[in-house]
Amino acid sequence: MAPPKKYKKYDNKSGNDRSGKKKKVEEEVTIDLVEDDNVDNVGVPVAAMQDAEKNDQVPEDEFGAKDYRSQMALKADNASRPLWVAPNGHIFLEAFSPVYKHAHDFLIAIAEPVCRPQHIHEYKLTAYSLYAAVSVGLQTSDIIEYLQRLSKCAVPAGIIEFIQLCTLSYGKVKLVLKHNRYLVESKHVEVLQKLLKDPVIQQCRLRRDGDDELLTSALPNKPLATTSKPGEEKPAANGTVPDDISQFYQQLDKDDEEDENTDIAVNTAVAFEVDPDKIEVIQKRCIELEHPLLAEYDFRNDAINPDINIDLKPTAILRPYQEKSLRKMFGNGRARSGVIVLPCGAGKSLVGVTAVCTVRKRALVLCNSGVSVEQWKQQFKCWSTADDSMICSTLKSFIIQTTLETEDKHNNLCQKNSEFKNTKMKFKNKKKSYFTEMKRCRNSYYYINKIMNKCGLVIEKVHISRMYTRLASLVTIGLTATLLREDDKIADLNFLIGPKLYEANWLELQANGFIARVQCAEVWCPMTPEFYREYLIQKINKKMLLYVMNPSKFRACQFLIRYHEKRGDKTIVFSDNVFALRHYAVKMKKPYIYGPTSQSERIQILQNFKFNHKVNTIFVSKVADTSFDLPEANVLIQISSHGGSRRQEAQRLGRILRAKKGALAEEYNAFFYTLVSQDTLEMAYSRKRQRFLVNQGYSYKVITELKGMDQEPDLFYGTREEQGMLLQQVLAASETECEEEREAGGVPGGGGVWRRGGALSSLAGADDALYLEHRRNNQQNKHPLFKKFRY
Amino acid sequence: MVNVMKGVLVECDPAMKQFLLHLDETLALGRKFILQDLDDTHLFISPDIVETLQARVDDLMDQLSIPVHDKGL
Repeated sequence: MAPPKKYKKYDNKSGNDRSGKKKKVEEEVTIDLVEDDNVDNVGVPVAAMQDAEKNDQVPEDEFGAKDYRSQMALKADNASRPLWVAPNGHIFLEAFSPVYKHAHDFLIAIAEPVCRPQHIHEYKLTAYSLYAAVSVGLQTSDIIEYLQRLSKCAVPAGIIEFIQLCTLSYGKVKLVLKHNRYLVESKHVEVLQKLLKDPVIQQCRLRRDGDDELLTSALPNKPLATTSKPGEEKPAANGTVPDDISQFYQQLDKDDEEDENTDIAVNTAVAFEVDPDKIEVIQKRCIELEHPLLAEYDFRNDAINPDINIDLKPTAILRPYQEKSLRKMFGNGRARSGVIVLPCGAGKSLVGVTAVCTVRKRALVLCNSGVSVEQWKQQFKCWSTADDSMICSTLKSFIIQTTLETEDKHNNLCQKNSEFKNTKMKFKNKKKSYFTEMKRCRNSYYYINKIMNKCGLVIEKVHISRMYTRLASLVTIGLTATLLREDDKIADLNFLIGPKLYEANWLELQANGFIARVQCAEVWCPMTPEFYREYLIQKINKKMLLYVMNPSKFRACQFLIRYHEKRGDKTIVFSDNVFALRHYAVKMKKPYIYGPTSQSERIQILQNFKFNHKVNTIFVSKVADTSFDLPEANVLIQISSHGGSRRQEAQRLGRILRAKKGALAEEYNAFFYTLVSQDTLEMAYSRKRQRFLVNQGYSYKVITELKGMDQEPDLFYGTREEQGMLLQQVLAASETECEEEREAGGVPGGGGVWRRGGALSSLAGADDALYLEHRRNNQQNKHPLFKKFRY
Repeated sequence: MVNVMKGVLVECDPAMKQFLLHLDETLALGRKFILQDLDDTHLFISPDIVETLQARVDDLMDQLSIPVHDKGL
């Protein structure tokens, strides 16, 4: 696969046209645009374009299966080995095997989990997963060797080749932040030389003059670079290289002061310093050159950023998986950037807090809503010795007008405060507001950049935006539950933040009682005739409102709420649609939270929900999708949702995932209902949304009829008249409602996607989701069994 | 005077009946085909349209279900 032209263009530009301001603007704009429409190819090294899937010549049969019998001869002792390694890079793991645990730990390091139900897990080797493997210290030979041992059949030659291709060039070069300088470091001198020959990287190289300290440390390096190196490296490098190198070094000597420096302490690794402002460029370039940079931060030797006095409280006990993820992060005494994937409720915050306590530098936590800022603050106070005086939270930076004020605030507070929390700007892709948005982003980008330079560690929720990840932080960890986006941009994170360091298995945590055991159910609510009639006639916006407001759904919702209130459960009802949210909540006399709800009111409602046993049900819009910590809630009812967004589904599930006190691990102790109007688009979306959780091993129960609903007295909208009135309301309201929504909360999308969203909720940062519908030909991809029968 | 008309009795859920009525009214199949609207769940339709109608309902269902083994994007 050749990189597309568009990308090359950008490349040339940044190579030649590199003068002052113009360049800076250009680069920013280009990056933004590139992110938008050309993402697949940005930051993807050529090796990563390789797809093991392509090695595969075996055609699929009509059931989507492949016949590998000829290629995968079983070993004699296959019964005791847990893996199948298929020639297309997919690996199947027997979860019931006695060596499962080892195999699992290994696989999670080298491959992406595709699907992990109870008994057989499917993984896939990808270039990125291998990159991540190398970054946590695995060697090519180890990977192949271990894979061979675990596999029931001989590992196909194509796969070995693929692993070699993807791992050999990776992990050789590191971007190390040491003594507050960015160094590109490598133990392999020839690699470094190759990089240095690249014009783009030369541009990024930082040549300091008048820096005596650096020069002296660099001096011993020079002979090493010119004389000892060829001797050492000759076996590996070909004959022509050394000449070029020496010339190159001589030229360097003439042109500038030597800034090459080597840290002999670290296994005689060679390094050169780069301009901190151009980290982004150099990272990108290195990926193109097949040597992705692993970012590391030598926090112990950082004398410039002051240490802060923060420690974990003795009460904070890390669970094994949390420890494991942190071990990957701080593997070699330095901090690595990367993404840690843990299910919601599994204690991501504690991982974050611990990371801060380990690094003991100033940290910035990026959140996407005010409430979650508060919650992080709580977490810090709960788990560490940090108190109010150390934590500063800023809520207002997402409004342009206040950006300037907060900037001052930031700078003042920055001197004495350790943690910085900042509401994060969302990076909306809505076309209309796109440019203003971009401007706004750039403003705050600038300000936050200022702060960030003083911070040691950045924690962020990666699923939201990719805007701030480009900032010059020292080390970034991303914490998320759902490393997925509907638009395939997730791969960007690999170079924006770093490789995925750890991903937990949901079912395992569930089995160990770390997260709640959830029963997922999809409740089918038939459309009433009148509503369906209107549904057929109306435009897409009103269609949506119609199926959300479907009286059967309302009744089902009411029934479920009652049922669970009787059981003493705490219920959250989610609705993306603000009109529906208000209507449902007001009609049932329950409190509700949505975008415009003020911070104090929110907190009041949440407190009541937590402690007041009379408030057992709350209604929330999608502001509560992420990072709303409601440990008490154990029932979730979803009445309207954001198209087919798998991320949202998983995030919502996460609201009730926190382990319940005193619950048995064997029993279901949380319930997740999705109410779906039958025969409407919602069915298709629902199916789509569930895919992620199904791949995590969850199963959905379809409920076509709620037992006892007919007997339940005084449910609303039982009679035709009432339903007719509701319909009138919906039809009348939808005009204004839809318009309002389109104004502020629109979500971009191609083709057959609609825009929707809670109008003002965007102010609270709820509109981060990006949902794209990918149309594909259903017929072609349809399982023959389901061609005829519908479920 | 007795009028005899040959037709097919369709039984369906109330929502689906609305779909059929909708098809009938918008002439989506080229013409009207409902002979008699009997009650909430029953319709009497002309027999020659049945095949097209079946295809049409299949289409609707196809739109509402995504392939099961479609493994994500």
